[in-house]
Amino acid sequence: MSEAKTKQQGAVQTTGHAWDGDIQEFNNPLPRWWLWGFYASVVFAVLYWVVYPAWPIGKGYTTGLFNNITYTVNGEERSRHWNTRSLLIKDMQEGDEALKTKEYMQKVAAADYQQILADPDMMAFVRSVTKGLFGDNCAACHGSGGAGVMGLFPNLADDDWLWGGSVEDIQATLTHGRVGYMPGFARTFNDEQLDDVASFVLSLSGHDVPADKVARGKQLFTGEGGGCYYCHTAAGTGLKSQGSANLTDNIWTIADVQGQTEIAGKVDAVKNVIRNGVNRVMPTWQGRLDENQIKLLSVYVHELGGGQ
Amino acid sequence: MAQAAVTGTEQYNYAVIRKFAVMALVWGVLGMSAGLYAALELAYPLLNMGIAEITFGRLRPVHTTLVIFGFGGSALFATSYYVVQRTCQARLYSDMLATFTFWGWQVAVALGVVSYMLGYTQSKEYAEFEWPIDLLITVVWVAYFWVYVQTLKRRSQPHIYVANWFYMSFILATAILHIFNNISVPVGLFTLKSYSMYSGVQDAMTQWWYGHNAVGFFLTAAFLGMMYYFVPKQAGRPVYSYRLSIVHFWALAFLYMWVGAHHLHWTALPDWTSTLAATFSIMLLLPSWGGMINGIMTLSGAWNKLRTDPIMLFMITSLSFYGMSTFEGPLMSLKSVNALSHYTDWTIGHVHSGALGWVAMISFGSFYHMIPRLYDTKLYSQRLVYVHFFLATIGIVLYITAMWVAGIGQGLLLRAFDDFGSLAYTFIETVSFLHKPYVVRALGGAFFVSGILVMAYNVAMTIRLGKREAAVIEAKLAAKLARA
Repeated sequence: MSEAKTKQQGAVQTTGHAWDGDIQEFNNPLPRWWLWGFYASVVFAVLYWVVYPAWPIGKGYTTGLFNNITYTVNGEERSRHWNTRSLLIKDMQEGDEALKTKEYMQKVAAADYQQILADPDMMAFVRSVTKGLFGDNCAACHGSGGAGVMGLFPNLADDDWLWGGSVEDIQATLTHGRVGYMPGFARTFNDEQLDDVASFVLSLSGHDVPADKVARGKQLFTGEGGGCYYCHTAAGTGLKSQGSANLTDNIWTIADVQGQTEIAGKVDAVKNVIRNGVNRVMPTWQGRLDENQIKLLSVYVHELGGGQ
Repeated sequence: MAQAAVTGTEQYNYAVIRKFAVMALVWGVLGMSAGLYAALELAYPLLNMGIAEITFGRLRPVHTTLVIFGFGGSALFATSYYVVQRTCQARLYSDMLATFTFWGWQVAVALGVVSYMLGYTQSKEYAEFEWPIDLLITVVWVAYFWVYVQTLKRRSQPHIYVANWFYMSFILATAILHIFNNISVPVGLFTLKSYSMYSGVQDAMTQWWYGHNAVGFFLTAAFLGMMYYFVPKQAGRPVYSYRLSIVHFWALAFLYMWVGAHHLHWTALPDWTSTLAATFSIMLLLPSWGGMINGIMTLSGAWNKLRTDPIMLFMITSLSFYGMSTFEGPLMSLKSVNALSHYTDWTIGHVHSGALGWVAMISFGSFYHMIPRLYDTKLYSQRLVYVHFFLATIGIVLYITAMWVAGIGQGLLLRAFDDFGSLAYTFIETVSFLHKPYVVRALGGAFFVSGILVMAYNVAMTIRLGKREAAVIEAKLAAKLARA
């Protein structure tokens, strides 16, 4: 066959021109399959133009035929020519995935927290939705497992809650955000005093620190010299209303006490926090997430750690 | 051919072509290495070492500018000056103006990449040059146009060879695209910062009209010009069909201008614009293939040469990749396919099957043909051409397959739902999925870079050989003259 082809091609004339000595051109016709393929693509394009918005005319355009999209706005049915915006609206109203979500969402919206927590089916839905919600919105700071970052972002997977660990508390935190503030004591305390206060703080969680330092530290902590007790209480258990840390439970989110093996290092870690203070902000999610999304996230975060 | 080679240096201006050819390889090595490093940064972000100048955001335009304008541009200047002189049997119109286009172009590329590394950019893809460099490019381009047209006017035969139509359309279209996309208002006379004349969706539309036609005329039409000269020349056979070359040339030139908006499907762009871009992209498939058919059918009948001539391997492979990527392009321009492919690495893979498979491979083949003739010698090593061919081909295959996996994979992850109708994956999961394909892509890039390094060595040795031979001949001539 290839032989026959060569013969055939040999019979074709060139155009009679020659460039640069030896470049010539055969006078072969257009390959038929090529030509018909091209015509077919033109037919495809024309059909496409008939059905979809395509050609601009003055300030308008051809809108396309037989291809309307029908959806509802405020209970009123609307029909528009094919366009991406209507397509999205319709998909969000009637798409398979949207319908599935909607059914569960209505169920969850109607239920209270106790009902949600008690219902395995609803909880499965919560985990499904919040995987994306938490992963795309919260994980950047708190980590994909909610473990937080020492010194920066609170751990959500432990039993310690600065602003309260009930679902309602968590919902309030998510909705309104939080500002965690502790003043720095660099100008109030000299280095020795910082040492004393830090020692006292560590003694609250059972660390072995010199008793004289603890005694002096206690005076500063519970007296007007430092006034630490305003927020942390005289017992050091913290106040939910202030978001102040419970210093007695040996759970640390800002001073990396657990990361230090030597007691001197632990004292330094606490001293640094007292010296420099704390200024942390959790943004408000109202307006960025809707009410139901915040509700679902609250349940999820509650379940992450030991919710109260 | 033989007699032309003897009279070559006197009859034609080869000096400027040699300069462009050498610089094409220099920029090629630099640009592809920059690309490799950028690819490694994506797989291992620590590699930016916290140095702002080499972070991915700056290195990426350095890579694209060096390979498209440095390597591709210089290769086009070199081959177009070569082809127009040889097919017109006329010397370049003005040596001075041609030399100006050389220095102007090299300075523009160099200034461009330095300014990107320092953080100056127009933020328009493939048009990142800030306004003073844009002005320089405009002047160079007008000079190029003038040299080319004046040389065509001096041709010694009435018909203009098809390769020259393609080069001409490339020069004209690039001028229009460059000027209109870069119209901007500088903040001040002594500042590099400027703002685009267009805003919002109009700006995006203009940018992609430019961007896709840069692909169409710079990276397709111009390299088809290259193909139309070097393929029949190397195969020693006439072009398959004159008629096909005319029809597909005009169809290509007409249709390409419409398709840029397919880069903006599912955005704020009006739907009718999107439709037009998609349909014109579909209609562009067969006209694009016209060049492939003409090239492959020209080679057919000389298949036996594939066994003995590695340059033919480069040419047939480039045409195959050209055919594949011009099929993939219209496919991806359909709105439904685009919904999956857009914003994923499939696009990057597609671009590289065109850029490495077609543009670089046809340039390599053409250079292996042209450079020995420019220096009136033979290639230093035929074996190294084979080595280059296999390194490059393996590199491309690794690159493209890795990007298909990365792109289609991420596209599917982004649209996966679970039983409750929620998105099944977080965004970061779709990103960490990319790590392995990114490593394979970098490996492919490493193969490709090794290939061009082998070529650079081979070419350098060829040039040395040519110079040594010329020196010997000159010495003999001098001796003869002295005896006489």
